[in-house]
Amino acid sequence: MTFELNRKLAAKRPPLPTRADIDPVTASIIRGALETVCFEACTHLGRAASSPIINQSNERNSSIIDSNGRLVVGSVGTPHLTFVTQLTVRYGLMHFKDYDWGPGDVFLGNDPDHGGGHLPDYNVYAPVFDDNGELVLVQALQAHQGDTGGKDPGGFTLEATDIFTEGLAIPCLKLVHRGEKRRDVIHLIERNNRFSTFSGDLAAMIGGVQMAAREHQVLIRKYGTDKIRAALNHSVENTERRFREEIAKWPDGNYKASVFIDADTRGTPDVKVQVTCKVDGDQLTVDLTGTDDRQNLVGVWNTFGNTRGYIMIQLCAMIDPTIPKNEGLFNAVEFIIPEGCIAHPPPNKPAALGSFHPACEITEAVCIALSEIVPERAQPQVYKIGMPNAVIGFYDNGMMWMDQGVDSRSMDASAVKGIDGWGSCPSSLGGLLLSMAEDAEMRFPVLNISREMTTDYGGAGQWRGAPGSLNVKKVLKPVSAMAWMVSAKHPLRGMCGGDDACPYSNHFLVGTKDEYKIELVESTQLPAGSVIAYQHGGGAGFGPAINRDPEAVKEDVLDEYVSIEAARDRYGVVLTGSLDTYDIKVDIEATQALRNKMKSERIEGAIQ
Amino acid sequence: MNYRVGIDIGGTFTDFALLKDDRIILHKNLSTPEDRSIGVMKGLHTLAEKESMTLSDFLSECDAIVHGTTIADNTLIEMNGAMTGLITTQGFRDEMEYRRGYKEDIWDAALPPFKQITPRRRRLTVPERILFDGSVYLPLDEDAVRHVCLKLKKQNVESVAISLIFSFVNPAHEKRVAEIVREEMPDVHISMSHQVLPRGPEYDRTSTTVVNAYVGPRVTSYLDNLVDRLRNNGYKNQLMVMQASGGVMTKEYIDGSPIRVLASGPAGGVIGSAHTGLAKGYSNLLCVDMGGTSYDMSIVLDGSAPATVGWNIHHRYLVGVPMIQVETLGAGGGSICQIKGGELQVGPRSAGSEPGPICYGRGGTEPTVTDALLMLGILSTETEFAGGSFSLTKAGVEAAFQQLGDQMGYGAEEAAFDCWRVVNANMIQAIRRVTAGKGIDPKEMVMLAYGGNGPAFAGVHADALGIETVLIPKASPTFSALGTLLSKPTIDEERSCIFPVYSPNLDKMKSLWQELAHRSEQYFYNANIQKGKIRFNYLLNMRYSGQNFSISLAMHTSHGSQDYGFLDDKFGEKALHLFNQRHMAEFDHIRETELPEITGVRLVSSADNITPPIGAGFSAPPIKASPFKTRRVNLGEGYADTPIFSGTELRPGHEIKGPAIIEETFTTIVVYPGWKLYVDDYGDYEMKK
Repeated sequence: MTFELNRKLAAKRPPLPTRADIDPVTASIIRGALETVCFEACTHLGRAASSPIINQSNERNSSIIDSNGRLVVGSVGTPHLTFVTQLTVRYGLMHFKDYDWGPGDVFLGNDPDHGGGHLPDYNVYAPVFDDNGELVLVQALQAHQGDTGGKDPGGFTLEATDIFTEGLAIPCLKLVHRGEKRRDVIHLIERNNRFSTFSGDLAAMIGGVQMAAREHQVLIRKYGTDKIRAALNHSVENTERRFREEIAKWPDGNYKASVFIDADTRGTPDVKVQVTCKVDGDQLTVDLTGTDDRQNLVGVWNTFGNTRGYIMIQLCAMIDPTIPKNEGLFNAVEFIIPEGCIAHPPPNKPAALGSFHPACEITEAVCIALSEIVPERAQPQVYKIGMPNAVIGFYDNGMMWMDQGVDSRSMDASAVKGIDGWGSCPSSLGGLLLSMAEDAEMRFPVLNISREMTTDYGGAGQWRGAPGSLNVKKVLKPVSAMAWMVSAKHPLRGMCGGDDACPYSNHFLVGTKDEYKIELVESTQLPAGSVIAYQHGGGAGFGPAINRDPEAVKEDVLDEYVSIEAARDRYGVVLTGSLDTYDIKVDIEATQALRNKMKSERIEGAIQ
Repeated sequence: MNYRVGIDIGGTFTDFALLKDDRIILHKNLSTPEDRSIGVMKGLHTLAEKESMTLSDFLSECDAIVHGTTIADNTLIEMNGAMTGLITTQGFRDEMEYRRGYKEDIWDAALPPFKQITPRRRRLTVPERILFDGSVYLPLDEDAVRHVCLKLKKQNVESVAISLIFSFVNPAHEKRVAEIVREEMPDVHISMSHQVLPRGPEYDRTSTTVVNAYVGPRVTSYLDNLVDRLRNNGYKNQLMVMQASGGVMTKEYIDGSPIRVLASGPAGGVIGSAHTGLAKGYSNLLCVDMGGTSYDMSIVLDGSAPATVGWNIHHRYLVGVPMIQVETLGAGGGSICQIKGGELQVGPRSAGSEPGPICYGRGGTEPTVTDALLMLGILSTETEFAGGSFSLTKAGVEAAFQQLGDQMGYGAEEAAFDCWRVVNANMIQAIRRVTAGKGIDPKEMVMLAYGGNGPAFAGVHADALGIETVLIPKASPTFSALGTLLSKPTIDEERSCIFPVYSPNLDKMKSLWQELAHRSEQYFYNANIQKGKIRFNYLLNMRYSGQNFSISLAMHTSHGSQDYGFLDDKFGEKALHLFNQRHMAEFDHIRETELPEITGVRLVSSADNITPPIGAGFSAPPIKASPFKTRRVNLGEGYADTPIFSGTELRPGHEIKGPAIIEETFTTIVVYPGWKLYVDDYGDYEMKK
């Protein structure tokens, strides 16, 4: 539980020893077969889990780690879980002997200080041995749990100063020994969770990895351990080669970016993430030197494993999407993440909120740094929301309910070169299903009043960000409500001259004389009838707005993404006609004149 | 003579099954993408010729023409549907754009957006709000509706979708909006969400309604056209149209629910499979249909493939009406083989029917799966292809594979063999994923293979999946067309009502079921199907609160008349028992501390029809079949002289031990090493490991 441990966990791993040669086609057939088992494990979990975050929202992931601790198949699910998984398993592998690993075992880990992300991301994994008793691979399943047994339901405590406030940390715990469930251990884990659905979820995770382990054994018998290992080596090498080929196409240089979080949860302003991406031939180094390391910051600590993972999510968004996701990605990149900074915290720091911020600022900074050289894919894979407004109340029978506020909405879908921001989220979050008003209102005494996009509320640009939405709710019973605001002062950044997205804002008791804006954090009781309104900042723009095709601006005005005024003031496009009569046209001459004027003003501004 | 004709349009071929007494006559010709009805009429012409009749004499003797159409799918692929507007509840304008957050590829930051049927300017809102219990929170602002109509009119909208929050609980506002739209825009097509998909949540219902509005006018005009052509050429009866739920229904019904034909293409084959499987004594089937463009997989359990709902994305839109679940992989005869990122890839890009594989000799230059089969000797240039439509040519094929081989460091034959391995692996993995989604072990299934290319691959897949029996119907090349003839006239609709399982309002449920029953009785009456022939299957939709999808439980069936005797005081108990049973089977658990809720009633009304007889059994004495020649073929174990049999020569009782190839008029069947093929009493093939 030290920086030394993190260094060991992150150390590059050699290829697997094997005597077999393999042709590329057989290698890819074996990889496909393993991916399918991974998929089957994930599907099993999705089918059998009982909590909505897993079986409805799809916040789960399945992956395979080899006996050297390399991620060899990162199959399906949420990318934000995929790239953290191998460090947790590596910690377990370090204790192969003293934890008495054997066939039929299943382990659990979630400890942020032992390779994990944040506590809610439970990683359940099963080693797979061949008939000679040799470890071949480990099947892992991760899923975000609704609770972790800490101070607050859900595991997010705004004022937490250490991990123990947030819940139970598990470095590596054997749940099943040689096929037999350790009931005492499982009961202990179940007891440390508020939700009754948890035991079903845990059982589904155990069942999923056990099923996958059986399938893997069939494949190992069919192909033999050596062939499987050769195929895994081939797959990892192939990914590294393809990634390096992409890097080699990028011009050499040091690309820097810094991004700020408005404040930590105690109000310390301007928490900084600094990234330098160094491209040298086919070698990429991502260096976080300069990132904030003030030890008194609260809430904004992102674990080492998560930092590596979030960097990789952004890098994956910026390369050929068909490259298989495995350890080859990590082999192609050097990470420099200073020990003690908010991206590599000392032991026992809280971890829950850090998975949002600074995790997303790290991602954003990598994107900004590389945006000039990979403009077609420079979309930050972020959620800049701080926390959605969670409201918690009790049914008449005393049972607790929680509307987590992960509602259908538009947030942070930025443009890339050639494509306007679209949909609800950046691409990597496109596997999650957001919750619907009709489902929520049947379960919770909450009325969804509006969730529409706000005109002009996103970054302008040659390609514009998707406008952010305004989510307005009325609570019909008294509730306690929690909020954490970021991105008001430092909204999501535009790329290559595109405008930033708009500031997030959040109001409680809307429409009453007591209406107020949440500046930082809030934890309060709201009476029945209270209205809360969360304004999302939308996606950021790409490229200078005055380079946008005036016809595209006209279309945006017709769709009310952009107002006639903003068309003029932000895009330099002069329109005639009216929205009421749908006869809006571009005044080409006036537009040209206005844009020329804006350009010269901009140059003058730059000179002054 | 009374004929029945089933027609199924695929991406590459249009298939025909003609039922004449007890005989089934097969035909296929190339599809005509520019106007698909041309291919249909051409095929009917050929069938008439086969019967030595003129087209009009032939059509006038047709009792039924059943059509599986892809027109709705094509409208969505080509995005050339009606100019559509959406009227929705204030505050919910943008759900169609959010798609609940869904994106097709989570790794592709440059994924282009879907093309919007209803761009924001044509998604307009009106102040109104109904709550989850059906009560009115905010009355409908009728002036606002009229104002919205004005805006849509100015934009030349031809089709209006209306989808208001909780309309499936209380449709009053939606109905009133429709009345106003009718007054203000008398010529537009109207789709109301509480009719198209009467269930929550809002995105699923709205998307389905918007797609219905978009494809509706195209479906209607395509069918009008086809009906005209058929009528002008002598056809006197109703055109029956295949629905994705697996039933057929009259054009009149489809005109009112055009979304029902979307994704109906593969449904016929699944119905045919279920029917054939049952006749042969197999009730659990893994059905695989490999044609020119795709590999479709579906599952028949206990002799049926019920239509279910789920996250059904079709051509980038969610469509929530019940459908037979068919999973598609872009792997067919036309799938293109290429090297990308240093890896050999097969599909999903397809050469389609134009230009098609290189060996079609129609200008194709990229090697395809069919070309690989030719290289491997599984297909031959000496045999007529697709029933004599044309012969295959080897010109350019070897050179194309040599080009692949050059990149991989070996010869053309090895390259072709690797393409075959890769496409097989893709299909095998795809099957595993489909069965995993249902918690099924493929080993316990019988494989039923059809489509022009299915029987050439089935044995390899069965081997890899541990399946020991493979059925290949004689009609396999046009099996989907045959399936449309087997499909029953069916109307499958639901209405929403939400009750706790132990205190349902039985009167309300009864009246909803009656409403559905009267509706279908009317359509059946218009289709000349008498009340006494209708079978009613009363289904109850239930779920745990918060689940995305309900499951449908069969509560009761009645034949000939409606019967509500099952709505007694034991109803809730029975419903809970059935729910627990199904939830356990599908999801491996039930919630110990929660009770499910009733979310709606569903009624499947169907009528029996004349179906081609399908026999079974192996009473004919075994005969050893003799090949008419041998050919150098690679079936996975290297090139070897392999006996070739003619399908037209094979009779009940014939047995063939693999390795062997059977050339049929429209397909090629491969008996892989270790397998034995038997011809049953009905002339269908059964392969055993």
